[in-house]
Amino acid sequence: MSSEREIKQTLCRMCDDRCGIDVHMEDGRIVDIRGNKAHLWNKGRLCVKARAAVDMAYHADRLLRPLKRTVDGWEEIPLARALDEIAARLLEIREEHGARSVSVWKGEAIGFGQQETIARRFIHAFGSPNYLSNDSMCYAARYFGYKLVDGGWPIADLENSRVVVMWGANPPHAHPNMTQYITAARRKGAKLVVVDPRLSAIARRADYHVQPHPGTDGAIAWGLMHELIRTGVYDKEFVERNTVGFPDLAAYAHACTPEWVEHETGVPAAMVREVAALMGTAAPRVAAYVGNGLEHHENGVNSIRAIVSIDALLGAVDREGGCRFVPPVALRELTLYDELPLRELGPLGADRFPVLYDLRQECHTMTAMGAMLDGDPYPLRAMILTGANPLLTNPNTERVRAAFESLDLLVVRDLFMTETAALADYVLPAASFLERTELHAHAKHHVLSLTRQIHDFPDVQGEYRFWHDLGHRLGIGAYFPWEDETALNRWLLEPAGLTLEELEAHPEGITYSPLKPESRTPGPFATPSGKVEFTSRYLKDLGYDVLPVYKTPAYRGAPDPEYPFVLVTGARKLLYMHSRFRNIARFRTAEPGPEVEMHPDDARDLGVGEGDAVTVTSRIGSLVIPVRIMAPAEIRPGELQITHGWSEANVNLLTHDDRFDPISGFPLMKSVEVRVEKV
Amino acid sequence: MRIVAVDPDSCVACRNCEYACAFQQAGDFDRARAHIRVAYYPAERACVPFTCMQCAEAWCMEVCPAGAIARSEETGAVEIDAARCAGCKMCLLACPFGNIGFDEAHGVSGKCDLCGGDPRCVGSCISGALEYVEVEDAFAFRRQALDARLRHVLRLDKGRL
Repeated sequence: MSSEREIKQTLCRMCDDRCGIDVHMEDGRIVDIRGNKAHLWNKGRLCVKARAAVDMAYHADRLLRPLKRTVDGWEEIPLARALDEIAARLLEIREEHGARSVSVWKGEAIGFGQQETIARRFIHAFGSPNYLSNDSMCYAARYFGYKLVDGGWPIADLENSRVVVMWGANPPHAHPNMTQYITAARRKGAKLVVVDPRLSAIARRADYHVQPHPGTDGAIAWGLMHELIRTGVYDKEFVERNTVGFPDLAAYAHACTPEWVEHETGVPAAMVREVAALMGTAAPRVAAYVGNGLEHHENGVNSIRAIVSIDALLGAVDREGGCRFVPPVALRELTLYDELPLRELGPLGADRFPVLYDLRQECHTMTAMGAMLDGDPYPLRAMILTGANPLLTNPNTERVRAAFESLDLLVVRDLFMTETAALADYVLPAASFLERTELHAHAKHHVLSLTRQIHDFPDVQGEYRFWHDLGHRLGIGAYFPWEDETALNRWLLEPAGLTLEELEAHPEGITYSPLKPESRTPGPFATPSGKVEFTSRYLKDLGYDVLPVYKTPAYRGAPDPEYPFVLVTGARKLLYMHSRFRNIARFRTAEPGPEVEMHPDDARDLGVGEGDAVTVTSRIGSLVIPVRIMAPAEIRPGELQITHGWSEANVNLLTHDDRFDPISGFPLMKSVEVRVEKV
Repeated sequence: MRIVAVDPDSCVACRNCEYACAFQQAGDFDRARAHIRVAYYPAERACVPFTCMQCAEAWCMEVCPAGAIARSEETGAVEIDAARCAGCKMCLLACPFGNIGFDEAHGVSGKCDLCGGDPRCVGSCISGALEYVEVEDAFAFRRQALDARLRHVLRLDKGRL
């Protein structure tokens, strides 16, 4: 008979939704993971990735010992010696090339918030402004769209809305439990509009599946604004009191007729009118959510700004059933941007993409490749990379590989020997979310939680322990005075008026701040004018368009007959999270490998059947990949989709690291011109 | 009695339920091993989850010559005792919904047993299309939807949804 089962409650971090989980333990070993029914976000429900954390934690390929590259291959070395050697090399490189030649790169796999701020603190304490992360190509562009218009990114109040609009987002695969909230709204009679070039999982339930050509979403937003203004149903009082730039907005929208939208996007003019009318009737209870699908285009931020502007026309800003501003939790700040801003050292990319640095303090990873390879704008010689795998996730893989191979020192912390770790000088075993503690705020429900350390491995360090131990070897120990994560958590938490003990007693989280009552005169907004900004003086002063103007994507405006298809990349799949989890065997049973999604007419014209290999070629590179023939409604002819993260057919061999959204600096990854040939 | 209530209008065919069930049955994500099945028809955008409704008059149970099928007193689930199952497949023929499967490796029939009262399919249903609820409450959400519509129709400040 098995021994007694103990249940420990914490949060899942297989993706960033951080659902409440019950971790079932027997004899100190994790045996099962189930949903925590008391958790406000997931209410006991979990996607099947959560259970796979057991497989991840005890995986046979898990890195459990520090490794050093030698002429004879990998050699296990004691952790303390690895840290000593790394510290010595970092000091040498700083001496030779200056502190800014050293960088850190934080990956999605270790999380955001606290784990990110420790890495930011470390690199500034060391003297370099070069903090790099996946955020310079994911998430931040949406933040900019909202920040520039509304002064912050409010939370879509999905479950209280009358119309839910999903722009380039597929919650069932990307944020699984968000789907519950859409169901709750629909069961109360809400209509669902899904804007996506593909018939995604959530589009299966849409009242309107608005299917634009990739990268043309901005035209739809402008067409909707045209209709709301033309029919006079926009919220004149809200616009008058709370916004700037309406006359300019209205003048630009005047030409954006539904017929123009149809020409630009392929979406029927009649559908644009119907959706606008639906929004007008439901206002202000229209909840829009913008997904990653909008970001990886040449004009992504402006598409998002245009979408966000619709909220203000509908008076849906900070209203029930629209979007709500949630006060941030009052935790202490770990970053050193006030004490040691280091802006004068030229953070990589900050000159060319000032918004990226001004608003998020993100360096630009694509610019960093040039610094590694060509010393442009200055040499980048060393990097400590934690929980990231840019060899699969950054655009133009061949250049990324060359850049990483050129470094004098590459240290990679990860759970597994990833494609990037394989290039490192030192590979250090990193803690999974089950092996460290962390404070988490769930903005949606404004609750704060503390995740628990469920188990541990001897040489596997959490993020804080690693940066602490390395910092103390580099003479910057004063910045890491807390003896362990618990002491750090206690310090971070002090201003919040909560104690660690209270959080430990409430694994489902504690409400940190009630929502403000909604108001017809919200604000002031955290924008330069204090109002919702249809037009941005800040952008104008930087040389950008004051309005979120629409630009026809290059593949439509100036098509190249050599590359007749347009490729979308990065559509989410249920079982994989970016480049992670391909090594979980039963995930492979369900979703066995990479594929290029293709319309049946294109497959017929190419003479290929399901599973046949094709070569896909862009101006950047090419790959060979099996074909998956979709149903005619699921994707348009001439359009393709390949999900990222597969080493067998890595789509980032095709994506651009030379064409960017001028505001965010995000690379062109979701409307890539390609040609396809049968193998 | 509680059942796994199924609402096709909320289902997105994400297949979490099939994977969770297959894992419970066979330790893998081979959907063929799941007792719950979700049919998806792209042209109609129709998602149809289906699982055993634990019939009050369970024909599978009545037809079983080995007496291997019985109702659980605890959960009300109609359960197959693999040790007694002869593998004759009469229950597959009897079920009008096709909700009984056959495990060829072990030569026995298999069906939903509500996981002993904590069905994994429901715990993994991220859309909320599946609920494990008392049968009389199973479709209460439809009354709530009607209530919400009526409340809107009846209110005084008309003109907006």
